[in-house]
Amino acid sequence: MATSALELSDVDAYYGDSHVLQGVTLRLGQGRLLGLLGRNGAGKTTCMNVTVGLLPPRRGGVLVFGEEVARLRPEQIALRGVALVPQGRRVFRSLTVRENLMVAARRPVNGGAAAWTLDTVYAMFPRLEERKAQMAAYLSGGEQQMLAIGRALMSNPRVLLMDEPSEGLAPQIVADVMATIRKLKASGLSIVLVEQNPQLVFEIADDIVILNTGRVAVAAPAAEVAGGAVDLGQHLGVF
Amino acid sequence: MSLWLTLAVNSVALGGLLFLLSAGFSLIFGLMRIPNLMHGSFFMLGAYLGVTFLDRGVNFWLAALGAGLLTGLVGGLIERFLLRRLEGQVLPQVLLTLGFAFIIGDVCLMVWTGDPWQPATPAQLQGAVQVAGLFFPLYRLVILAVAVVVAIALWVMVDWTRLGAMIRAGVDDPPIARVVGIKVSQLFTLVFALGAALAAFAGVMGAPYLSVYPGLDFEMLPLALIVVILGGTGSLLGALVGSFLIGFLYNFGQAMVPDLAYVILFLPMLLVLVLRPQGLFGKVGA
Repeated sequence: MATSALELSDVDAYYGDSHVLQGVTLRLGQGRLLGLLGRNGAGKTTCMNVTVGLLPPRRGGVLVFGEEVARLRPEQIALRGVALVPQGRRVFRSLTVRENLMVAARRPVNGGAAAWTLDTVYAMFPRLEERKAQMAAYLSGGEQQMLAIGRALMSNPRVLLMDEPSEGLAPQIVADVMATIRKLKASGLSIVLVEQNPQLVFEIADDIVILNTGRVAVAAPAAEVAGGAVDLGQHLGVF
Repeated sequence: MSLWLTLAVNSVALGGLLFLLSAGFSLIFGLMRIPNLMHGSFFMLGAYLGVTFLDRGVNFWLAALGAGLLTGLVGGLIERFLLRRLEGQVLPQVLLTLGFAFIIGDVCLMVWTGDPWQPATPAQLQGAVQVAGLFFPLYRLVILAVAVVVAIALWVMVDWTRLGAMIRAGVDDPPIARVVGIKVSQLFTLVFALGAALAAFAGVMGAPYLSVYPGLDFEMLPLALIVVILGGTGSLLGALVGSFLIGFLYNFGQAMVPDLAYVILFLPMLLVLVLRPQGLFGKVGA
């Protein structure tokens, strides 16, 4: 079996006394897209926080291309090619669009040429180039989402984590974001897409993991899940 | 030269010194949220170190730079190994920095004794220059020029370089900045060391006319506090305007109503705190 791009194995994580991840195991294959689903509070964002080092797991491992990163600091994990598009976008509000992109710029882990530079990010999101001197606080929600994605790409990651990129956006903008994710997947990037809306994920994911109250309830190929092999209502509260 | 003009020139010179002192204080307090009560101690330590270098015949500018570097090193070490452990805990930070202020004060007293030191103004900076028929003491103008140069350099660094953007990103959203790969804690150490170095540099610049003596640290600290509260924490422009404002209030207050000098100094600070708590140039909610 080829090395996974990302692997969480038997992860236990706590917020204070609250046991928010209970033995979570999931695996993202290289070049694949993993859809991570679950209700509010199921532990999706916690999985992201554990992966990027914001919440060190109490037990279990986090492997990035086979390398254990569970005890590393966030900036060290970033250096190993993990980038996050955080929930709520969290662009640096007092920085300009261009500064938001520049502070994240880095060469790829394998030392090759950088696929993502200011120019290529602007080519993908022309809107960002138009507004490059604007403070990020003054962007619309959709523009901030583009900026959050662009910022993640500027680090030339091997693994891209996207935490609810469609949250709070108009349908047309959501469609744009999904088209962007498709392009990124086609470029060979390994992606974890966290979503509340399963329909968005089924169209695009290779594999699905459904979390329910901090445990993995379902882990299966997307076609199987979408085809009705899983009772979604039970785990997601949808029909 | 008339009294008014003398006072004005002194005010401008003090304003320049205060800017060098409080720019670092403003960055440390505004960006890193550390209430650094040893900032006046950095000023005094720098002044003593500089005076010692001058005593050994070191060139004035080299003495000021050397004192800045050494004090910056001291500040950086304190931040890296002690303050770092108290991240986000204001009261312990206050106690730690206040404790170090006393320690530095005592060490200075031990090493440099209780006698005041007043180095001579460097020979090439003595005398006066004539502008529009009026004579100005050269050294005061040099202080002003240095403050202006430092202000521009800091502004360029913070607002126009990638390093500055990284520092601001680390302030905006520290966890996400680290996830993006920014070494926030190292940058903060750098900012702290830079602030300490600037304060020490100001101490050396001020030594020829303030002289250096025990207690100088706690004379300068409240001035830095007032400047930053007036101008708004984290704002370089605020520190610049606040410094000159206090420079003028201090000199004119002491000359005209000496009995009320401190009232005149602290009253504007009270007014700002009541009417505009974020300071003249501070950001709301910052």
